[in-house]
Amino acid sequence: MNNSPVKLWRNQKHVRALLGKRGTIMTYTVIRVPPAGYEGQAPYPVVLVQLENRGHAVGQLVDYEHKHIKIGQSVISVLRRVKSPDNEGVIPYGIKFKPI
Amino acid sequence: MNIAVLGVATTKFGELWDTSPRVLVREAVNGALADAQVALEDIDAIYVGNMLSGMLGNQENLGAFYAEELGITAASTKVEGACASGGLAVHQGVLGILSGLYRRVLVIGVEKMTDHKPEHVASALMGAGSDGERIAGLTFPGLYALMAHACMQKYAITESDMAAVAVKNHYHASLNTYAHFSGGAGSRSAGQMTIEHVMQSPYVADPLKLLDCSPISDGAAAVILGEAAKTTRKSTVHIVGSSVATDTLDLADRSGITSISATVRAAQGAYKQAKLAARDIDVAEAHDCFTIAELMALVDLGFSDGMKKAAQQVGQGAFTLNSSKKLVVNPSGGLKACGHPVGATGVKQIVEITQQLRGEAGKRQAANAHIGLTHNVGGSGAVAVVHLLRS
Repeated sequence: MNNSPVKLWRNQKHVRALLGKRGTIMTYTVIRVPPAGYEGQAPYPVVLVQLENRGHAVGQLVDYEHKHIKIGQSVISVLRRVKSPDNEGVIPYGIKFKPI
Repeated sequence: MNIAVLGVATTKFGELWDTSPRVLVREAVNGALADAQVALEDIDAIYVGNMLSGMLGNQENLGAFYAEELGITAASTKVEGACASGGLAVHQGVLGILSGLYRRVLVIGVEKMTDHKPEHVASALMGAGSDGERIAGLTFPGLYALMAHACMQKYAITESDMAAVAVKNHYHASLNTYAHFSGGAGSRSAGQMTIEHVMQSPYVADPLKLLDCSPISDGAAAVILGEAAKTTRKSTVHIVGSSVATDTLDLADRSGITSISATVRAAQGAYKQAKLAARDIDVAEAHDCFTIAELMALVDLGFSDGMKKAAQQVGQGAFTLNSSKKLVVNPSGGLKACGHPVGATGVKQIVEITQQLRGEAGKRQAANAHIGLTHNVGGSGAVAVVHLLRS
């Protein structure tokens, strides 16, 4: 499960389309036992968001206080570093959500 | 559909550090052959259910790998569908017999998980999810935790309601010598598990706690399907329904997350094939990778009328051995307490229900069991397999 630079580059279009979207937290969790590559970040909240325009998306909640981790909280999608770069040296970026 | 289950066997499930996958498979297959009174040379095809051997163990090509281990050169194929790999392998075995090409099929389920670090196992399991879920740093407990919070909000169920599922399944596992948590020497007797134990266990992915989660297990199971040799058995168990349904890989793309739609559709397909209904089922092995998953399954399979009702029924012992009026759910202990070597689970479920319908389940025997169901889910609900069996 490496960060292929080609795959990261190809996915940028998808990431751009999800930037700056507003939405509402439908459900959430707090990951306390993380997968490989995320060990330094745990515990971290992950939210499933109902987007204002269409569809749903999952992402980590960032720049939050404890009171923001709740169903119904308004959020906006932002671009953030996802995890540490691997041997290829490319830093993977992706969508996260912050409370508004 | 009427496919005879000729022989079944499972290894002990658990943390089997001194045992290799080859040894596990040989033990399960030898057990199933002896049970079926069939010789290895009479096997026409092998289907191997497995998910992680490539990502964790660097070994693919499992069809040939296990045929070599058994010393035969029959047709042999690996089947992968995340945690439903075993159920899908059984489905392929059924199709092999139905096609008329094979007279006897061997279905193997196997997984070796405890050789690896938990973070690596969690990452490898996320191979069953979507890119977006991996980028979010989600894990399988995390995905089911998202469903659990949504269910708690929608149906007013509580963490204590979920804990009751763990209590029931640990009690059942305490009666099962093959279970990961069999309550044997050196472990706390699983029969003593209480709601308080579950509630006091640490959070893995809120609201799911350690004791809401199935363990990381090693194990193998084997089933032989097809034409009976000289059988001395009074009654033979048959597979009378085998149905598979799929859904989106990504939880966020589903029409709803408080029910697993693939389960509903697979169950409807199997009930229709067998001309049976949920009320006919005496004993079931349901996919309880997390306690919330069993509550969803009870509704999706048609056993309970709504999730609040399902939670009340579990709490009152409606699906527990000896206190159940009719239907017993997860008499093996389920994934939760029998253990969840992911590729083995769907095959083990067929082993358990076959033993139940033969009346050979010993201390964990469900009373008057004639019709049984197995329910195996892959991913967070991206694939579901339902089998119906009858004695």
